[in-house]
Amino acid sequence: MGEKLLMKGNEVIAEAAIRAGCRHYFGYPITPQTEIAHYMAKKMPKVGGVFLQAESEVAAINMVYGAASAGKRVMTSSSSPGISLKQEGISYASGAQLPAVVVNIMRGGPGLGGIQPSQSDYFQATKGGGHGDYRMIVLAPSSVQEMYELTVDAFNLADTYRMLAMILGDGILGQMMEVVKFRDEEPIVQADKSWATNGHGMKREHNVITSIHLDPAVLEQWNRGLQEKYRIISEKEQRYELYHCDDAEIIIVAYGSVARIVKNVIKVAEEEGIKVGLLRPITLWPFPTKAFEQVIDKPRAFLTVEMSSGQMLEDVMLAVGGRKPVYFTGRMGGMIPQVDDIMAKIREIRAN
Amino acid sequence: MARVTFREDRCKGCGLCIQVCPKQIIRENREKINAHGYFPAEVVEMDKCIGCAFCATICPDCVIKVEK
Repeated sequence: MGEKLLMKGNEVIAEAAIRAGCRHYFGYPITPQTEIAHYMAKKMPKVGGVFLQAESEVAAINMVYGAASAGKRVMTSSSSPGISLKQEGISYASGAQLPAVVVNIMRGGPGLGGIQPSQSDYFQATKGGGHGDYRMIVLAPSSVQEMYELTVDAFNLADTYRMLAMILGDGILGQMMEVVKFRDEEPIVQADKSWATNGHGMKREHNVITSIHLDPAVLEQWNRGLQEKYRIISEKEQRYELYHCDDAEIIIVAYGSVARIVKNVIKVAEEEGIKVGLLRPITLWPFPTKAFEQVIDKPRAFLTVEMSSGQMLEDVMLAVGGRKPVYFTGRMGGMIPQVDDIMAKIREIRAN
Repeated sequence: MARVTFREDRCKGCGLCIQVCPKQIIRENREKINAHGYFPAEVVEMDKCIGCAFCATICPDCVIKVEK
């Protein structure tokens, strides 16, 4: 039987990483994700791992680059402004095809912003906050249980595809305490890491990990390889949840903690005789277009709800492709959409 | 007469204590920012406190101590 504990979301991410075989963590404190570093500082020495508080976010992400190059499971975490600082390293690691897990527990922006929950780093996470034609697998948990399971999955996906995987949570999820049930044993993917620069002992040719290719023809070929990998991932790794969508008049598209609020909206709407469903993307990249194909004929409209000005909205509109109207409501700066706000929007759509 | 004390620097401003207080005497102190950067909870009218300890029970971060 798996162990059942009451834990904070941030701590669960750290525990999940250790269970997934991560023995290297490099970070720099920032609210609302600092508990990840606290937990790592306490636990890593006990499991023979490395916890290191770097001198900056830039240093931390480059330490990740080093550990990942050596073929080790490695993680870093931060919150929005800190993730902005890590973008150069993220682009370099993506260029060098390095597997690692980056956690972003989002807070309100732009700039230093605030410390309250937000989802305004969606563009940065899914469209590439750094330079170049790269992608990260972006996983969006919506409960503490999912923070555990998706963190383990993130390590497996990163290793399988030799790329970065990001856990995109927000200040609510990071700070929230909930029951989490751990498995006795984690499903750990043992990926081939014969590319790692971990010492050849004069027994093989040395490996090279780099993102520089000065010959444009070579660089284009390298990019084609990346794009082919991303195409396969888009085909195979889309994840989503469809909730009460079968006879829904309006389907709300929301991820992370907002999806939890939407589940309450569905109950309230039902009492008013309005059938509302939820399409919850779990992978933000690859965006779950397949979910839209499943439900596109059902509702009269889609409604996107986010703690941002409407970033995922653009992907929803692309997935819907003009076949149904798409509406939006959201809050910014750390304010949280309330059930009443969303209900008001639903009534407005129905009155149209 | 009850006394409520807060380990303010552990507070994340979730507001659960404010919701459960039957006397509605807890509020978010917007004039203060704690070590994490949150507005911490505080009791405004201590003499109205009945010492029920609902606030201390619900607090997920062990911030609140109630004595009576």
